[in-house]
Amino acid sequence: MILQSIKMALKSILANKMRAFLTMLGIIIGVMALVVLVSLATSATNSVSDRISQLGNDLFTVNIRDDGGKPLKMDELDELTAEETLGLVAPYLQSSGSVKQGTSTVRVSITGTNNAYFSIMSSVLAGGRLLLQPDLDNYAHVVVLSYEAAAELFENVPISEIPGQSITLDDLPYQIVGVLAENESVTSTGMESYAVYVPFTVTARTTGSSDITSFYVMATDSSQIAAAETALDLWLFTRFDGDTDAYYVQNMETLSETLSSVQDTFALLLGGIAGISLLVGGIGIMNIMLVSVTERTREIGIRKAIGATQGSIMTQFLLEAMVLCLIGCAIGIIGSGIVLLIVNMIASSGTDASSSAAATTYTLSGTVIVVSVVFSTIVGMVFGLYPAQKAARMHPIEALRYE
Amino acid sequence: MAAALFRFPGNEAGWADNDAGAEGKRQSAVIELIDISKTYHIGDSDVHALDEVNLSIDDGEFLGIVGPSGSGKSTLMNIMGVLDVADCGVYLLDGTSVESYSSGELARIRNRHIGFVFQNFNLIGRMSIEENVELPLIYRGMKAAERRPLVEAALEKVGLLDRRRHTPNNVSGGQQQRAAIARALVTEPSLILADEPTGNLDSHTGAEIVQLLHELNASGRTIVLITHDSTLAAQTGRTVHIRDGKVAEE
Repeated sequence: MILQSIKMALKSILANKMRAFLTMLGIIIGVMALVVLVSLATSATNSVSDRISQLGNDLFTVNIRDDGGKPLKMDELDELTAEETLGLVAPYLQSSGSVKQGTSTVRVSITGTNNAYFSIMSSVLAGGRLLLQPDLDNYAHVVVLSYEAAAELFENVPISEIPGQSITLDDLPYQIVGVLAENESVTSTGMESYAVYVPFTVTARTTGSSDITSFYVMATDSSQIAAAETALDLWLFTRFDGDTDAYYVQNMETLSETLSSVQDTFALLLGGIAGISLLVGGIGIMNIMLVSVTERTREIGIRKAIGATQGSIMTQFLLEAMVLCLIGCAIGIIGSGIVLLIVNMIASSGTDASSSAAATTYTLSGTVIVVSVVFSTIVGMVFGLYPAQKAARMHPIEALRYE
Repeated sequence: MAAALFRFPGNEAGWADNDAGAEGKRQSAVIELIDISKTYHIGDSDVHALDEVNLSIDDGEFLGIVGPSGSGKSTLMNIMGVLDVADCGVYLLDGTSVESYSSGELARIRNRHIGFVFQNFNLIGRMSIEENVELPLIYRGMKAAERRPLVEAALEKVGLLDRRRHTPNNVSGGQQQRAAIARALVTEPSLILADEPTGNLDSHTGAEIVQLLHELNASGRTIVLITHDSTLAAQTGRTVHIRDGKVAEE
């Protein structure tokens, strides 16, 4: 009987294709908005949290906000390294400047740091050497270039020949000691790809302050993160005489959690807005169903005369509204797939010049497809109910007399 | 019951036209209307559409109900076809009283016991003739494989087997009425109610439809023909007149 009713519903929808399509348009647009927006948001979230987890959860970032007249110095960080659960410690100070080499000038980000920084960032050398402790001790004007910065400054020069060359960084001469390999992690994307690394002590001197305001600490063992965090917190607590406002510790895990919860909220918000357009589509369905019930009053009368019960008339019109919604939903999902395909094509053609690895692929989110199917069914049911009831409650004689 | 007995002499006249096969079913009345009344309220005035009507129709009978427009014959047909319920009185259909039935049960009775033939055919325009005829069986919940032979038999009987895939708009009025008759008899109902079946047809086609009704009656169907045309009514087995909501035997 249900199968028969679905056949009937399909038939009466097909009898009026143009009108059915226009009616469905509201649902199609609503579903497309829902699926595309949520899929975009989810894919973006996944890609960002993937990149964050590349950095590792065993990494802590410490920022000193107010040292209370007792600034943190380089040698104090050795105490931290001595802690059993803590391993590498890298102070960093970031600024920007311009590098000159021959006739070319490049804007770069300058990071003053130590040897441990490269291990923490999992940077690999392409040629030369990294920054070493003697460079820091001797305030040596040496610099390590990122792959991109080296490629920009020394076009057509093999990597192996770059170390040993001289450059001018913010009007001061530096000697290049190393070039990093192309890095696919988050630190090498966008603006930061043109990066140079100099000894921390050198940046401290050029900026006029040898205070450490931020540094990375890595746990020795990724299974000991909690213990490492406790040790770090305790050390900072003691160092700043119990002033917990003086410093701020951030773990990549908490960062990625915060980020994904923000983006979940964002997806929910987008979904909500798209849901409203689905609801509007539902009102369109109700409108057309009411017209259809009035138009087919005589048909309803005939059906009742030959033995259709209120229930079967109700089922017929309700199913018609639901089938209409579900066909719209199916078209909307297919349309969303096509839209995402186009977005991917545009995104990949736009980014492969700079870095192909950073391109995010947008995929249909399975959850949102299920949600849109369920939601469309509910919309069809809710907005089909009133017209179906109107049809079912018609008096057979009056319906038969209707002109 | 007294009413039914009272009508007995009239019935005798009706039997004369019927074939001998109906003789065995003589005792059973398909329809018994006892003191049926129906009043409509239009504005502040009451219209007595039916006023204590008593009527008994036997199995295999071909009854003509004649009356001018506004005489209450449509109301009578609606009540006999359980499209409407009387205000008071008893209506026995196949021996069962229908007053207390819910709308769902009335729909079931229409589906199983009654076949309607309307003046304006009342076929569903966007469905083929075959699908129109099939519809009552669908509402009965019959499977497709069981429906097909019944539909074919009904279309065969009215001579429309070659037009089964056409929509009603693509065939003549007479053929539409034949399709409607096929739809009425496909469920093997106890009673076929025909309300002015020739009203929208030319006299020649109308005569063909009446001929078809006669053939159906000859094969044992009980038929009630409602008309304002007394020459048409004269061709039926028994005729009753209705005027101002009251029924009088011919």
